[in-house]
Amino acid sequence: MSVVLAVARKELRDAVSSSWLILYAVLFTALALALSYLGERNLGSVGFENFSRTTASVLNLCLLLAPLAALSLGAGAIAGERDRGSLTYLLSQPLNRWELLLGKFAGLSASIALATVAGFGAAGVFIAFFASSLDVGTYLMLIVLVLALVCVMTGLGLVASVVSATRVQALGLALLIWFIAVFVFDLLLIGMVSATSLGGGGLMLALLANPVEIVRVLAIIHLEPDLQILGPFGSYVMERAGTGGATAILSVALAAWMIVPVALAAWLFEIREA
Amino acid sequence: MAFRPPDTEGHTSVAQDEGASILRVAGLSKRYGRVQVLDGVTFDVRAGSVVALLGANGAGKTTTLKCILGVVPFEGAVEVAGISVTGHGKDARRQMGYVPQSPALGEGDTCAEALAFLAEIKGVAKGRVPELLELVNLASQTATKVGHLSGGMRQRLALAAALLANPPLLLLDEPTASLDIESRRDLQQLILRLRDEGKTVILSTHFFDHLDEVADRALILHEGRLAFDGSLDDLARRARGNRYVVNLNGNAPAEFLEALRAAGVAPENVQRAELRWEEILLASTQGREQGEEQS
Repeated sequence: MSVVLAVARKELRDAVSSSWLILYAVLFTALALALSYLGERNLGSVGFENFSRTTASVLNLCLLLAPLAALSLGAGAIAGERDRGSLTYLLSQPLNRWELLLGKFAGLSASIALATVAGFGAAGVFIAFFASSLDVGTYLMLIVLVLALVCVMTGLGLVASVVSATRVQALGLALLIWFIAVFVFDLLLIGMVSATSLGGGGLMLALLANPVEIVRVLAIIHLEPDLQILGPFGSYVMERAGTGGATAILSVALAAWMIVPVALAAWLFEIREA
Repeated sequence: MAFRPPDTEGHTSVAQDEGASILRVAGLSKRYGRVQVLDGVTFDVRAGSVVALLGANGAGKTTTLKCILGVVPFEGAVEVAGISVTGHGKDARRQMGYVPQSPALGEGDTCAEALAFLAEIKGVAKGRVPELLELVNLASQTATKVGHLSGGMRQRLALAAALLANPPLLLLDEPTASLDIESRRDLQQLILRLRDEGKTVILSTHFFDHLDEVADRALILHEGRLAFDGSLDDLARRARGNRYVVNLNGNAPAEFLEALRAAGVAPENVQRAELRWEEILLASTQGREQGEEQS
């Protein structure tokens, strides 16, 4: 375990000192603050609804930027070492491949989480200051959900990194995953629902197949369980399982998404040539 | 630059009896796509010896080292201090220190940070870092970023990293490639000191200056096969064969040839050629190629 911690600490140190992560943190914080400000100004002080709508805006920003940052950094983790010629040297040290991969996963997730929490935290302070009410528990839960999504996307980025020959290739693959998860997935499924007879089970599976959608629905269930906002997949799971059941199903699915990509990346890393 | 011998503090590796086999390589084969890089290479290395791994570019030297480290998959068996590299790679790598041809340590780290990270990975106290930096004469560069070091300094830093856990076996891939003459000489002295302390060194190199003073044994790889395994003296003897240097006593070559044709002029002085190690290696592999063609 000490090897995993050593690698994680180094990744965190490297990431924190990299201009890439600083840019992400600054951009995210600025946008989160801007959204909070605009939300407060446009909606005025109308109590909890104000908090929910403003928070939902910040959450949407998170669901856009955090996966991009996590996928990009994850994609560079192994492929970048391969490009620099340092992967062989690292693997010549007394460590197991899975330890190197897990260390990178932990360090990168932690670094993106720090930057995300900084942005989310700044927006939270702003909302708390200006909004007439702030549900701290819900806000913290949203942060946890976004951090879970960061872990999922870092894991997927690592898969892209392991299977790619170069860093550029890995980044391309990561961007493709991001584009599909954030933009294309919903449209694709809506098209499939219309074109095929995708039943309730199919709808449920479709929801569980996209971690961004899982986090979005989980967040909205606790922010404002309005069936219209939840979208077709969220509405279906709420109607079938209720708030508690839906939360349980989606949480388990999210937990699986946090584990499976990292495990897959570790397995692929083990069997592939360095 | 003056290397100092390391002390044995922080020794974490398996103790080896001098003379016992520390490395066993059996039937080692490696293929990259369609290219057979190594083909059934077999050798043992006894503890406390310095072995020169020689061969032309692409002969398979670096691949052999990577297989020994268990970094790439291969066919055959490799055991380090009795530990299978394929079965227990992490434990086997604890017995080895590796200096790659182009060391790629963390560019953004200082020398001290780079070594501290590797010390943590190897489970060695970070207190050894200043001592190792001094050993390779990089104490003055402790706070210098690795990215700002010259190629020679990087190789010395990688050597310090390889010695962190005081392993019994050192694999040095072209360790002198970026070193100046003085540093090269100092490295040779350090290798000898390490051998005297019972360490085993496998040295893959193109620079053969004073090779016979450093290495006890040579392994020559040629087209992925072991073409020679023996002492440096044997290697030199074989390569010299019937080669002679003819001193012409001031005669121009044309006149000399004319005189030979007339069979009237004999060379004044004939002596055995003193070949450089590069020439010896070349002669050894050429001889093998000719033999293969004839058979």
